[in-house]
Amino acid sequence: MTPHYGEPQVAVGIAMVVISALLAAVFVVGWRQSVADVPYERVQAVGYWVRKRWLAFLCALLVVVIGLSLFELPYARGGTHGTVVTVKGGQFFWSIDPARIRADVPVRFDVTSLDVNHGFGIYDPAGHMIGSVQAMPGYHNKLDLTFHTPGVYHVLCLEYCGLDHHLMQASFTVAP
Amino acid sequence: MTLEAATAPVVHPRFAELEATEPRVTERHVAWLFVGTGVALFAVMGLAGLAMRLTQAQVLGLSPAWFYRLMTLHGAGMLAGVLLGTMGALWYVVRQTVPLSMGRLLVSYVLIVGGAVAVVVATMVGGFATGWTFLWPLPFHSFGQWPTWATGTFLVGLLCIGAGFFVFCLDVLMKTTETYGGLLRTLGITYLRGRDDSPPPPQVLAATVVAIEGLEACAAGVMILVALISRMLDSKLTIDALWAKNFTYFFGHSVANLTIYLAIGAVYVLVPRYAGRPWKTTKPIVVAWLFTLLFVMAAYSHHLYMDFVQPGGLQVLSETASFAAAIPVGVITVFTGLMLVWGSRYRWTLASSLVYLGFAGWVIGGTGAVLDSIIPFNFRFHNTLWVVAHFHTYLLLCVVFWELAFVTYLLEEAAGRTASRAQTRLALGGMVIGGYGLVAVWYLSGVLGVPRRYAVHPAGTAGYSLAASIFVMIFALGFLVLLWALVGLARTAHARRYENVEVRDTWSNSRWRVRRRLDEPDGALRPLPRVAEPLGVVFTGPVQLGLAVATAVVLHVAFLPQTVDAAEKSTGYYSLDHAGQFLLGALVGAIVASLPRVAARLDRRTADLGIAAVIAVPAVMMLVMLPSLYGPLVGRPALQFLYHVGIAALGVVLGLGAGALGKVTGRFALLIGVSMAVMYAAGIGGG
Repeated sequence: MTPHYGEPQVAVGIAMVVISALLAAVFVVGWRQSVADVPYERVQAVGYWVRKRWLAFLCALLVVVIGLSLFELPYARGGTHGTVVTVKGGQFFWSIDPARIRADVPVRFDVTSLDVNHGFGIYDPAGHMIGSVQAMPGYHNKLDLTFHTPGVYHVLCLEYCGLDHHLMQASFTVAP
Repeated sequence: MTLEAATAPVVHPRFAELEATEPRVTERHVAWLFVGTGVALFAVMGLAGLAMRLTQAQVLGLSPAWFYRLMTLHGAGMLAGVLLGTMGALWYVVRQTVPLSMGRLLVSYVLIVGGAVAVVVATMVGGFATGWTFLWPLPFHSFGQWPTWATGTFLVGLLCIGAGFFVFCLDVLMKTTETYGGLLRTLGITYLRGRDDSPPPPQVLAATVVAIEGLEACAAGVMILVALISRMLDSKLTIDALWAKNFTYFFGHSVANLTIYLAIGAVYVLVPRYAGRPWKTTKPIVVAWLFTLLFVMAAYSHHLYMDFVQPGGLQVLSETASFAAAIPVGVITVFTGLMLVWGSRYRWTLASSLVYLGFAGWVIGGTGAVLDSIIPFNFRFHNTLWVVAHFHTYLLLCVVFWELAFVTYLLEEAAGRTASRAQTRLALGGMVIGGYGLVAVWYLSGVLGVPRRYAVHPAGTAGYSLAASIFVMIFALGFLVLLWALVGLARTAHARRYENVEVRDTWSNSRWRVRRRLDEPDGALRPLPRVAEPLGVVFTGPVQLGLAVATAVVLHVAFLPQTVDAAEKSTGYYSLDHAGQFLLGALVGAIVASLPRVAARLDRRTADLGIAAVIAVPAVMMLVMLPSLYGPLVGRPALQFLYHVGIAALGVVLGLGAGALGKVTGRFALLIGVSMAVMYAAGIGGG
């Protein structure tokens, strides 16, 4: 399987580039201004004015971002009305039952491990990473997803599990 | 604007007006030992990293078995190296105002270096390859790749590294709180409430917060490592995977994160040298450190976002704490650093440039971390190369830069000059281009969804690894130029320590010149500062003593019958029962140590014994809870009784040991010692 850039990931990547560029610009300006001779009282007066607003902005951003994220939590809640897919990870294989599911039908993945920790990473037919959940011995992690695009979905292990970790791959099919 | 040329002064002209103390000879030597070892470990582990990247680029043909061995070594070795370097730097700056113990610091050094050697043996000779995270139960599912002794060697190695940091934190907490008169005053809370006009300097605030968080993190580390060692000794022991993962990351994430906060302590002292402005403790700085104390500990759980069985409240708390931890950094620490530099006629040297660049690495890496800490984003980035990108940004381009800045500062001070402009530009240019290029490729690969910790990357992605390898080599070239510049500074420094003196032979009347070593400056040999108040006792006054006795009795009477009863049905409760006996013993020990007659005999030597006791006793207590030790005693009441008395006796030793550490550190050691036993009971079973 060859991975491809996923859309939400690209958006996050662009956010990273923009924020990093702004921060880098601040440091370049700071570097250029470092040779000037400005009384510290003046720097403090302006700096404290900016800092108060910067603090308020970051606090507001925190509330907004955390608040919005609560609507998009991947954790399964309540019962399921769709297909339950049992996933078991072992060194170095995946057991996915059933391995053929229907498009547009809610799916609950019931993920566990037979030995060590594994990561159930799902990639769509085009190679976009669409999410992951851990497979932990003694526990069942439940992930709800609905697939709209038919095709063969690939699974890679996303938790280091030993010698053939990178070979621990599988697939399941989403039928139209 | 240009960088200062060679032979320019290495401090700001206004620095002489600031109240600064000359470091002592011992402080310089110890700093050299720590930072020198840290930089050497960084260089070696960096080579291991390059070998891994070249393998992923399909240039080097390392087998997966060797790749994962190197990966394990790289992670654990880097952690040890960065920890040593930042510990040395913080100790150096704090000891100028706080009489930290050199003996205890050297014990830390021996433990951490010994631990690092054990990790090298376990991985390179024994083939141990679980990654530095050693997630239960992977160490026991080697798939024929490593023997049991390699598992034991690795676990004991990490235990030594954790114990070394534990000793350091205990000494720092003990000495800072003694010097500044109690925990509230040392953390600046008294100042915040307007009852103190002279708060401790910011490096002492940093050291105290790091010590508290380091003790908690190391306690978790000792607990999980002892659990795995116990499992190695007794296959009947079972360990809960979720419990193990929580404590493994509480230990590993926190210690790695604390290296930044160790380093910032040194930066508080370095920036004023180049900006000519003091970095004073202010109320916002105190508030920032108090929030850091809260947020850093709660953030670890973002490693478990994709473990959906982790309680949801803890997930959201971790998400909030991970984001919020960036606020004190962005609003107070880095912002104040920029204000100090702005318009200051900053003295640009090789060291001061590295300090400045480190701030940028911290906030840019922090941005990557905050984005990854938002749960819906993490759903798509968890364990991809994005994770590797963000922590390398702030470890390589902030912590390592500050570690190198500290080495450079020591040499610039000794040489009285900085590196040449060409050397400075080449070194910084190489490391900045190489470093940011390396992490940019990782961020890009994370966006692509490439998993981390893969010996062989998915098809079509080898080009990213090749590009990253080239950037690593550019970084390495910059690093080599830096080393070359440092050698030049060291030679100048060496020459400055001697003077040429003309000597005349009275017999032949001939004259010649000899080199004579100059004396150290007076300030370098001055005595250590005195502490403001003696250690104090764990329970002060009859009221506290009475409360402690009452608590012990009530806890045991209320708790024990139920736990004994439940012990017959559940191993978890049976371990909890032992934790109860341990708690009783510990309180008795602390009460005894608080009695005036006993407290009067406590001194530095008993404090050393106390440190040994509070580290070793909880570990021993957890080790003797093996099912194969306790199991045969069931149905033999006399032996069972003796076993329980033995557990309580261990508690007494812990209490006495904590008592020897004084009021603040003693209470803290008592709390975490008993907590380790209780939390251990929550996660293990079997038998």
